[in-house]
Amino acid sequence: MKTVTEEGVFAEKTLKFKLNQRDKLYSETGHYWGVKELTLKEQDPIRYERFFSRLQSSVFAAREKARFVAASPGGREMGESLWALTTAEGDTLAISLGFISHAAAFPVSIKHMTDNDFEENPGINDGDVFGADDPMTSGAPHPGDTYTLVPIVIEGEVLAWACSVNHIMEAGAPQAGSWPVFTVDTFMDGFVFPPMKTGENLRQAKWWENLWMRRTRAGAMNVLDDKMRLAGCSMIHHSLHEIIKEYGVEYYRQACKEIIEESRRMILDNMRSTMVPGQYEGSCFRISMLKGQQKIWPHADKDELIHVHGVLSVDKKGSLVWDTEGSSRWGYHGFNGYPGGADVALHLQMTTTFAHNVKATGGVNMNVESIYHKGSIYNPDTEFASCANIWAQSMQMECVAGNAIHLSFFMRGYLEEAFAVDDAWEGIQGSGVLDDGTPYGFTNFEWVGGTAMGAYSFKDGMPTAWCSHTQLCNIGNSEEFEYLIPPTHHLGRKLEPGYCGHGKHRGGIGQTAVHWMKETGQRLGVTRGGVATSLTSYVSLGMNGGYPAPGVVTVTAKDTNLDEVFAAGGDTPTTAGELLEYAKEGKITGNVKGWKYDPPEQSMGEDDLWANAAGGSGGWGDPLERDIDAVVEDIRIGQVPEGFAKVMYGVVATKDENDLVILNEPETKAERERLYARRRSESIPAKQWWAEERKKIIEKNMRNELLVMYRKSVCFDGYNKHFKEFWQLDEDFEI
Amino acid sequence: MEQVDKGLMKKLVDGKISDNDVMEMRRMVKKDHKRFWTYLEVLQEGVSWDENILMRLNDHLYIVSKGNNERVVKCDCGHEYGDFRVNWKLNADLRVRETQEQMDEAYFPAIAAPEASWMEIREYFCPGCTAQLAVEIVPPGYPMIFEALPDLDRFYREYMSRPLNDESIEWFQNKTAEETAKLKMNI
Ligand SMILES: [Zn+2]
Repeated sequence: MKTVTEEGVFAEKTLKFKLNQRDKLYSETGHYWGVKELTLKEQDPIRYERFFSRLQSSVFAAREKARFVAASPGGREMGESLWALTTAEGDTLAISLGFISHAAAFPVSIKHMTDNDFEENPGINDGDVFGADDPMTSGAPHPGDTYTLVPIVIEGEVLAWACSVNHIMEAGAPQAGSWPVFTVDTFMDGFVFPPMKTGENLRQAKWWENLWMRRTRAGAMNVLDDKMRLAGCSMIHHSLHEIIKEYGVEYYRQACKEIIEESRRMILDNMRSTMVPGQYEGSCFRISMLKGQQKIWPHADKDELIHVHGVLSVDKKGSLVWDTEGSSRWGYHGFNGYPGGADVALHLQMTTTFAHNVKATGGVNMNVESIYHKGSIYNPDTEFASCANIWAQSMQMECVAGNAIHLSFFMRGYLEEAFAVDDAWEGIQGSGVLDDGTPYGFTNFEWVGGTAMGAYSFKDGMPTAWCSHTQLCNIGNSEEFEYLIPPTHHLGRKLEPGYCGHGKHRGGIGQTAVHWMKETGQRLGVTRGGVATSLTSYVSLGMNGGYPAPGVVTVTAKDTNLDEVFAAGGDTPTTAGELLEYAKEGKITGNVKGWKYDPPEQSMGEDDLWANAAGGSGGWGDPLERDIDAVVEDIRIGQVPEGFAKVMYGVVATKDENDLVILNEPETKAERERLYARRRSESIPAKQWWAEERKKIIEKNMRNELLVMYRKSVCFDGYNKHFKEFWQLDEDFEI
Repeated sequence: MEQVDKGLMKKLVDGKISDNDVMEMRRMVKKDHKRFWTYLEVLQEGVSWDENILMRLNDHLYIVSKGNNERVVKCDCGHEYGDFRVNWKLNADLRVRETQEQMDEAYFPAIAAPEASWMEIREYFCPGCTAQLAVEIVPPGYPMIFEALPDLDRFYREYMSRPLNDESIEWFQNKTAEETAKLKMNI
């Protein structure tokens, strides 16, 4: 029986009905919308595939064109954008290249609008424009990731959404940039807006543009990006109307369900045919060093070590369950997120790993059950948690899951797919006022779009060649960044020697930049957004005896003698490591400081330097098993220093003035023996260690920040059990 | 490429494979289901002992069947770590780098090394051959990470259609806490 709403729309055609029905049929049958047979595909596969390729080309075309209509450099040049077509319920049907895992966020926005009766107020009409970036209600990871959604409506029925997201250059928080570091709650996250109607008939309202101009520091860039997203969505909107005209609404409705069901099945098949069922544990850590940065809110004036714990398992069907129990409780810092945003991170791994050879649709989401416990950093039990930069740790979280998957591939013999997964991204950001009084904000994306690839069990990782969060790995163009960020200039932009996780096969070497500040105007303040700093490693576990990727390093130099150095011929440092070395040798004077945590905002002036090293990746296997010739080659190409080669690999070699490397074979043999002997003399049986380490817990003999960290994990019952059982602590023991 | 043969598999395991062959493997439309058996064959031929390898855990470690309801972790050198349901790390040797000087030896430049007092570097060695089997970088007091507990019965029956002859629901259980309970008794 069909019922009609007040607006004259059949109830069966409302979003509310569709969402409920989709969920009901899926939970009853295990198939998307209860679709057990792929009837259209079987009856006429050519027509079915043609239909799909039309959808797919519409989103590809949107990305390739819209970026050249209007865009900031982050949106245009790098992989920092995405267009998609989703069903009425927000399940992805077709997706462009770029930030594909944001497909996990679209259904969150659409559910929010549906649950809040947007169909009645403000109404959802063909060609309306909606925007969103609020993590709690829209599924956005953080307010730097900004969404545009355009409904495709025929005869009052929402049939699809054209969606887009890109990472904007400035989010309008008290601290400038797109990943503010010092935030206490959502009110310090900048320009945060839940899903809202911002335009009609494929045109944004003027007030919307004014908001970007007034509430962010890179208003012009952000408006360009807004136009870019809408231009692409308009193209998809137009294409879909044409496609539906050609195929008919009935065909469209049924084909959508079949496409997603087909993809769900194939992704499940990929999981079953590459994984070993079981349980895989992993973790990572992220420091939030805020003590002393402000005097107004004492509850946020602290240093916190964030713990991320995850267990990957395989459910009855063969699809994956990712349980994050034990991950820290949320805190008064910017590294929290809500479930939608956490899924956007997790799905980076899942989509690229299991949906690379299928139609990449919402079928991914149905094969991954993510569990984010209420109260945790991924599911705060408050509506006001700051989410300025969930990516600061969620990128590590998805790599912990990735390493578990890759270990499983290795166990099953698919070694060609198994490497150490890391994505140690970094971006410098800030704000300033030029000499003529012009204010501006900026983000440099160079280390956001490319990192090194980790080692395999049979070969080394490659530098800058990979990125877990986009297939469009790209570190951008030096000149473009220098042009856009007037006071920063590259003194160096290259690989940082030795900077990776070492092993039998070493990780890809990370990259470094030395930014020289010139004509800094009336003021310039710089911070960084990014993932784990080198106070911790990137993930906890190395692969099979290799060392995990290092965290990101920052080096700042103020009040330098650079003008004298230039006058004397210009022997300037070209890497972060070199800058520290030059300072040690007295070649660069002034206040030079290396940071293993996010530096508080630094006020930069003429001839100051900001250097960083990021993107190093993890090794695989025992370093003492590394081929000696490979170490010699690393020394020859300048990627592993001689002194370190001896300590890490037991290889004794010297480089002469012609860059010829001479290996001392007998010394190398003896050095490796010495290192093995040291292992034996410096280690103890792990069981003996267990008893000694247990004492540290019982006597609470560790930094207070660590006790607090454990408390914020054992407050979750399952992790409390895990922790107490491992250390055999009494029921009533409290850390 | 549709199937990786034994010769190629050996090259892959030994790290002697060409980039081109690796690329071909990655381009397979569907992974070769039989690969697991070829893998086991190559691995079995590479070790000097006779117990059947059920699963590879690590560059050096395997879960092997000792018959009579015993499935244990064994190093290619022959050293045994006991029941695979107990985290094998408890039966390894362990070196902990906890001072800054010790930690700085593991990373370059030194500023990339984790910070002492916040974190420690745990290196697990085989008591038999001194190979470095695992590295954990965690805060002091952090429980050892149990990297992989495979559901062997399910994998062999459901995924590979060759059920093991000593199946039991007992096999897919984490027994690490039972082992630490014994350790506590000995304190
Ligand atoms: Zn051994």
